[in-house]
Amino acid sequence: MSSLAAATREPTAPAVANRMRGYARQDGRKGIRNYLLVAYLVECAHHVARVIAAPYQQGGVQLVGFPGCYPSDYADRVMTDIATHPNVGGVLLVSLGCEEFQRAKLKAAIAASGRPVELLTIQACGGTAGTVTRGREWVERQLALLKGAPTVPVGLSDLVIGTKCGGSDGLSGVTINPAVGHACDLLVDAGAAVMFEETCELIGCEEHMAARAVTPELAEVLRGAVRKADEYYAALGHGSFGGGNIKYGLSTLEEKSLGAYAKSGSRPISGLLKPGVRPPAGGLYLMDTVNDGPVRFGIPNINDSQTITEMVASGCHLILFTTGAGSVVGQAVAPVIKGVSNSRTYRRMEGDMDVNAGTIADGVETVEEVGRHLLDAIVAVASGEPTKSEALGHQEFVLAYKTYDPLGPGCLPV
Amino acid sequence: MAGAANLIVLAAGDNVGIALRDIPAGDVAATLSGLSLRAEEAIPQGHKIALNDIAAQQDVVRLGMPVAITREAIARGHLVHVHNVASRYLNNDEDHYE
Repeated sequence: MSSLAAATREPTAPAVANRMRGYARQDGRKGIRNYLLVAYLVECAHHVARVIAAPYQQGGVQLVGFPGCYPSDYADRVMTDIATHPNVGGVLLVSLGCEEFQRAKLKAAIAASGRPVELLTIQACGGTAGTVTRGREWVERQLALLKGAPTVPVGLSDLVIGTKCGGSDGLSGVTINPAVGHACDLLVDAGAAVMFEETCELIGCEEHMAARAVTPELAEVLRGAVRKADEYYAALGHGSFGGGNIKYGLSTLEEKSLGAYAKSGSRPISGLLKPGVRPPAGGLYLMDTVNDGPVRFGIPNINDSQTITEMVASGCHLILFTTGAGSVVGQAVAPVIKGVSNSRTYRRMEGDMDVNAGTIADGVETVEEVGRHLLDAIVAVASGEPTKSEALGHQEFVLAYKTYDPLGPGCLPV
Repeated sequence: MAGAANLIVLAAGDNVGIALRDIPAGDVAATLSGLSLRAEEAIPQGHKIALNDIAAQQDVVRLGMPVAITREAIARGHLVHVHNVASRYLNNDEDHYE
């Protein structure tokens, strides 16, 4: 891909940061946050869960959940991955009581991970008021316990980083996405695991990606993942390309793809992941975000937040999110660092943006310099500094019905 | 000083450049490396300008990769966008183009 995306290949490990500290978990992973989750297990329990969490949402309590009432192996898996994520220190499950979610199994998995867990069933706790009272009592007890949790040093090689774009414009692929690509190169070189996503937004880039695969089998897997996305969206009659993209200068899905692809940087691609599958080692991975099997349940990922949820389920500690039009999203479990492609949007929405790459278009900074700013931001956030979206209380979380087959051969050669 | 450039061409051989700032109709679009041409119509920031005459049914090439096919001939200096190009993959721009 040439000059902008891969202008430099500095072998130097970034001068990081022995100040990063986190929370050691039983499974060997380290968290950069110690959040207490309140999780609803069906939409009917959402309001009660929200009311329980509301007084504490600036104090480390985050709201997540699954709205569906029908059973879903995928939702069971993602909720388990989220509830046992390294950034999570304890979980309160809020069930209505008659939904089909496998709540006992989820509770057992959380307990087995060494985390405190409580399950409140609204139908058995006296309805809304009774459940809120008991829920808040539990939350307050746990918050007091989490306060004194010991920390351990964290290195870049302990981190899993996800990249995502939303509201891309014609400059995204010129400024912020190549800068994220440079940051990803630095992270991979330092031993971190990095994932990029949205096979439906890589349509047109499949051959270039295949050439970066570490094995010929993986190259075919990557081509196949994009082919699946192309067929799926063709059947739906709607691709991942929208009014905002057009308004700000992108003309086709493949032009948007090319810009999005720049986030992946220039390092070899080590494997293909599906939601919930964690990177087995450091390196660069592609996350397959499209359902397996026949077209069902509608558009695979209904918005940016659903894709972020899937990357977090696969272990991402934090997310690098890029925008041109100006997104404000955060996430409930993984802090979101937002970078913007142009100074006009930055000035309009400075309170939501962590890094401005409009300086590249303005001729003030280079892609590599902004990439370094992103790395600095990662170190700061992994050291406990809140991102803009965290400070503003953003806790986006979207989980919907999907189906996946297990990973096939060739997906994870390492 | 890079601040003088209002256009970038991402790879040699590209037939479009990207406006780094809004370029009014009649203004000169110029890259850091010295390429310049007259913008025959307004090119908003992030949008593409044809660097040379492009015939109908040709690839639009950005960063060395084909990103669209021209639906009609586009003259040098004109805006290259959804009104005169199409996707090689899925076109779904009509239903939500403001």
